[in-house]
Amino acid sequence: MKKKANENAYRVEIKGASKHYGALKALNNFDLTIEPGTFTVLLGPSGSGKSTLIRSIAGIERLDSGSIAFGDRVVADNGFHMAPEKRDLAMVFQDYALWPHMTAFENVAYALKRRNLDATESSRRVNEALERVGLAVKGPNYPFQLSGGEQQRVALARAIVGRPSLLLFDEPLSNLDADLRERLRVEIATLTREIGATACYITHDQSEAFALADQIGVLRAGELQQIAAPEEIYRQPANRFVAAFTGISGSFLGTVIESHKHEVIVQLGAQRLECRTPGKLKVGDSVEVLVRPSATSLSHHHSNSLPAIVLDVAYRGRGYEHVVECEFGVISSVFANESVARGSRVEIYIDPHNCLAFPSEKRAADVVAIPELSHSK
Amino acid sequence: MALDSETHVRSRVPFLDERSAVEKLRSRIRLTPMTVFWTLITFILVIPILLFLSVAFSPRLMSQGHQWFTLASFKPVFSGAYGLALLHSLILGVVAAVGAMTIALSMAWLVLRTNTPARILWNTTIFALFLAPSYLIALGWQRLFEQRGVLEIMGFYVEPIRNLLYGPVGICLVLMVKGIPFAYLVIANAMRGLGEEFEQAVRVHGGSRFEAFKVMASLLMPSLFSAMAIVFAEAISDFGVASTLSSVGHFSVATYQLYQGINSIPVNFPVSAATSLTLLSLVILAILAQNRALRGRSFRTLSGRTRPATQTKLSLFGKFTTSTYIVLLLVITLGIPVFGAISASMLQGLGSLLSHYTINFSNYSRVFHSRFLRNPLIYSTEMSLITATLAVGLAAIASKVLTSARNSRAKRFVDFFLLAAVALPGIVFAIGYIFTYNLKFINDLGLHIYGTSFLLALAYTANALPSTSRSLVGNMGQIQESMMDAARVHGSGAAKAWVDVTMPLIARPLLIAWLLTFSGTLLELPVSELLYPPGSPPVAVGIELSLAGFDYGGGTAIEVLSILWALVVVAVAFFLFNRFAPPGWKRLGNLR
Repeated sequence: MKKKANENAYRVEIKGASKHYGALKALNNFDLTIEPGTFTVLLGPSGSGKSTLIRSIAGIERLDSGSIAFGDRVVADNGFHMAPEKRDLAMVFQDYALWPHMTAFENVAYALKRRNLDATESSRRVNEALERVGLAVKGPNYPFQLSGGEQQRVALARAIVGRPSLLLFDEPLSNLDADLRERLRVEIATLTREIGATACYITHDQSEAFALADQIGVLRAGELQQIAAPEEIYRQPANRFVAAFTGISGSFLGTVIESHKHEVIVQLGAQRLECRTPGKLKVGDSVEVLVRPSATSLSHHHSNSLPAIVLDVAYRGRGYEHVVECEFGVISSVFANESVARGSRVEIYIDPHNCLAFPSEKRAADVVAIPELSHSK
Repeated sequence: MALDSETHVRSRVPFLDERSAVEKLRSRIRLTPMTVFWTLITFILVIPILLFLSVAFSPRLMSQGHQWFTLASFKPVFSGAYGLALLHSLILGVVAAVGAMTIALSMAWLVLRTNTPARILWNTTIFALFLAPSYLIALGWQRLFEQRGVLEIMGFYVEPIRNLLYGPVGICLVLMVKGIPFAYLVIANAMRGLGEEFEQAVRVHGGSRFEAFKVMASLLMPSLFSAMAIVFAEAISDFGVASTLSSVGHFSVATYQLYQGINSIPVNFPVSAATSLTLLSLVILAILAQNRALRGRSFRTLSGRTRPATQTKLSLFGKFTTSTYIVLLLVITLGIPVFGAISASMLQGLGSLLSHYTINFSNYSRVFHSRFLRNPLIYSTEMSLITATLAVGLAAIASKVLTSARNSRAKRFVDFFLLAAVALPGIVFAIGYIFTYNLKFINDLGLHIYGTSFLLALAYTANALPSTSRSLVGNMGQIQESMMDAARVHGSGAAKAWVDVTMPLIARPLLIAWLLTFSGTLLELPVSELLYPPGSPPVAVGIELSLAGFDYGGGTAIEVLSILWALVVVAVAFFLFNRFAPPGWKRLGNLR
């Protein structure tokens, strides 16, 4: 769905943001710009600073230094800190943060108080928001009378009911099961775009990030590693961390034997593998080859393929995913329309465009070959 | 956008660069609830405590000696009568804490998690126990078992029980009885917030009922340790038992020794201050042990996802056994002292050498008709209303500071001073007030408040604040911080978020804390005795004066009426809460 930005949607600009907890650097001179009406997902592992960042944007945390501005309005800078309630934003929390003494209706209505609407209009909007998340009949229920998914829907209704200029999501799906997660993800994507607010969403789940984002920022140890459109993050990761955190099905160590700008040929034992590289590599460099799930297939291609043995196979509805073991390591998520029995010998084709080589401090020779496969050879 | 007009619309960096240091300082010292809180804490807790305790090291500072610094005041504390009294207090405190916690845990489980029939009696009992200060419980027992007391007049031979009562067993019994309600409320409030999912998790993973109970006990551990710390602190700083059973039975405890020091001529303030510091150290040791046992764990179990616990259905035998246990507990903790007080209040001639005694209500009639007996109750009611409101407001802020996720300096500071104040006997606290508010520089500031109701209210508040705060800490600690964060980001300021979210979540504990402070202040003895304004004795002083004049009937009649009055207030408050509080406020802590 093509979104249309709300005219009040904020442009969020973060400059030089730093935050320490004792000796721990949660944010380290962090810069980020989020354009109005866009959906930005900040992706990172635990301890990467994403929660601190979103809480600082919300005003729940105070920055040690740096600034945050919503459009022309500075909300944090040089010791100045605007209170959360004055920032005109809404937030969906990981643990839902529903107030247990209020019904679902009252929880949602609470977020409208700042709009000073009359009771009829307020009630209409609350009912509309509840209806929008599929909970029209659950208004009188208390949170404990709702399932986890329903509770998070109430939290979502509470966030959108006031049509805020900025919507923040603090890992809102992490407490839900897979099916609910997928359904709610779709609701978050459509509702956010419907109201046209600027959205900032944090998660450690790369599939969630790719599904939701207009742009993805990858964080590590309080620093932004890369920010770009999902396609660019996937195809041209800035470094090994970004590539690894955004989805790989296996990795091997090897040595560059040919280098042509962003294309290299890597020697893996007796095999040669064509890959891409975002940086510059020269012949003789030790590299780690990261293989995207989309790069692999069971195939009879003669070039750029590796011999392997099937370890496991899982039915995925539209086909089968295999886990295979080759001389240099294990590769998962190898897709095929037909299943191949465990223990079978196969050839794995690796698409050079989704196979990325990064400089490595380890050398291929340091890695001990897998005994079973060596034996089978 | 409409909201823009409400917010600080600030231009970019150039404007911010002009923010002066003065502006920043002004923004930091603006009048906020926290500024008021810290100012009050400073004047009602920190200054009086520090000034008085400083006398232990520096008698000259307060014109109590010639030395600027000495440790000589501590010598008598650890030797002779003081040393023995301190040891007695320590042992009594430990036994009372463990005993009260064990009984309170069993009662919390029976009342909140089972259908035992006798549980309906317990809530009333708890409040009655809170209402009755230790000296009144002790006096009830005394009136029954003393020589020519109620039971001897009735022809019973009670000498062996009297010998036990006027010794460590009797003192420990009363201290434990007084500790049970403190421990119960802390544990019960934590148990209310503990949903059934934890028990279910144990049972579905193969755990027995006992295993589930053990897990519950682990989750309740912060409140169990808090309960023991409170009972221990209350027991070693108790003055009521010291002034009754301890003095009559010649079994010395630290607070009585302290009282004697203060009443000796000339008054030895430095030794009293040194004894107070030693008592403080004992409590701090208890808290350190508590912290070590918990190793910084906090169990945040109350959230929007918490499901109320279900009730265990007891068998007929189970109901009989548990009800017998509860009734037995009621008789020992409340029945005997109440019977002692009521029977004494209705006996004409008790305390005299008459051979003929009559039973009637004439003592009560005298209370209603004599303004000397009636006015103290009215005055104490007024003071208690003010004190309870002020103390609960401050305690709510203090408990919030104490349960904040960060181990800030503010948190450690509040923690230390509240604990210190719990350990300080009320009578020492009152002396600290006398010291502070008679100081020349305080008078030079225009604060002529010594001997006024204002100072008495401040002293009552400061005296009640530590235990009130402690009783709220368990509940406050269970509230997920994200609920307050959610209120803030959805448009509510800190104060409004507190009123809308935190207050309803702890409405019941707040009400309980208010009622406890109200009733505790109504019958408070040591602070009242030293700080009451001339001509306006509070009720405890009225009772003491009557008993001192051998008017046992009149004294016990005021005692009974005061407790009845406090019970009426409790009943009315709960009725109003149950009738008018929004349903969501009442749901928390209820069974499904």
